[in-house]
Amino acid sequence: MPWSKNNPVTVQVLGICSCLAVTAQLKPAVVMAISVTVVVALSNLIISLMRNTIPPRIRIIVQLVVVSMLVVLVDQLLKAYVYDVSKQLSVFVGLIITNCIVMGRLEAFAMSNPPLPSLCDGIGNGLGYSIILIILGFVRELLGSGTLWGYPVMESLGFYNFGYENNGLMIMPPMALILVGIIIWIQRTRNKDLCE
Amino acid sequence: MKKFSNRYIFIYSTVLVAIVAVILSVVSVSLKPLQERNQRVETKQMLLRTIGVESTKDNAEDLYAQHITETQLPDGKPYFSFDGGVVIPLRGTGLWGPIWGYMALDPQGNVLGAVFDHKGETPGLGGEISTDKFAARFVGKKMDTQPIQLKKHADKEDKYQVDAISGGTMTSNGVTAMLQTAYDDYASLLGNVTVPGSGQSSNTIQQ
Repeated sequence: MPWSKNNPVTVQVLGICSCLAVTAQLKPAVVMAISVTVVVALSNLIISLMRNTIPPRIRIIVQLVVVSMLVVLVDQLLKAYVYDVSKQLSVFVGLIITNCIVMGRLEAFAMSNPPLPSLCDGIGNGLGYSIILIILGFVRELLGSGTLWGYPVMESLGFYNFGYENNGLMIMPPMALILVGIIIWIQRTRNKDLCE
Repeated sequence: MKKFSNRYIFIYSTVLVAIVAVILSVVSVSLKPLQERNQRVETKQMLLRTIGVESTKDNAEDLYAQHITETQLPDGKPYFSFDGGVVIPLRGTGLWGPIWGYMALDPQGNVLGAVFDHKGETPGLGGEISTDKFAARFVGKKMDTQPIQLKKHADKEDKYQVDAISGGTMTSNGVTAMLQTAYDDYASLLGNVTVPGSGQSSNTIQQ
């Protein structure tokens, strides 16, 4: 199951970089999660359809070309139809190309499996990545800025009147790494199979 | 594993690249008008926000035509005038790329409103400059005898200081530099009561 036992972030430890970068707030985290899921699923499908024609010697290049094409397409579509969100994600859409999850799934799965299972594998891994991103975005925005999706939760609950203050460390990238560590810890405590 | 000849590999990669190139150019050309419209509307919405006019994507162009006149300084630097003052454009560099914005000032150099935006600052950190929360910190500050500076733990009473962004120091420094540049470029408009806001300036060369 790519979203729990074989989660790309917490078990395979892939795609950590973008996890740190886009999860300071919930909204960019969600859009990033959707974009990555779309790219992984479609690139898995396309590569799987092409798998018997791809010469092994240039397979990485072929994979990169396909992934880059999809990412540029996603970027262009975001710019045309959800302009404000595309601006918030800025450089990170382009960086999906270098996300290890995408290349990792192409190499490990799509190159040797038929299209339908590859598509499902892509969606599953995309969802696994999405769950972690959304958890991080939720915790970091709530504790770091006191808001959720831009809505001032802490303020409307009146926490500030009791001397509560936002934790500035939460919006710094290292905190995302610590949170990922905590998630891995909880997951491995609950599921002993994952311990080496 | 099948064996592929060099000839096959060459032809395969050439064809692949050609197909991808065609797809991308078609998409890029067909989406261009939409994207350009988004950008144009966004700039107009930014300008309207500095003077306190809320607009939606659909009515931005009309409201813009209604409220804002494009003018320029004698040396050709563009600015905008509205009923109550001027809006000066800001251009500068952040950490990863260009940052820009607009600032509405009354004839005494009081900041009426400001907006900022960026190409590629880190979302949630330097990227925060594009939020209303950040822009609101500028309202009531002054750009007359000196430019506004971004500072850590800025003094709220000080008219020339604004709180910088935690985690976005490099971007904040970029904003400070950008304000300095604008201050130098548009000195003749700032806090100089003899240059009125809308009345005369709209008589200067129109774009």
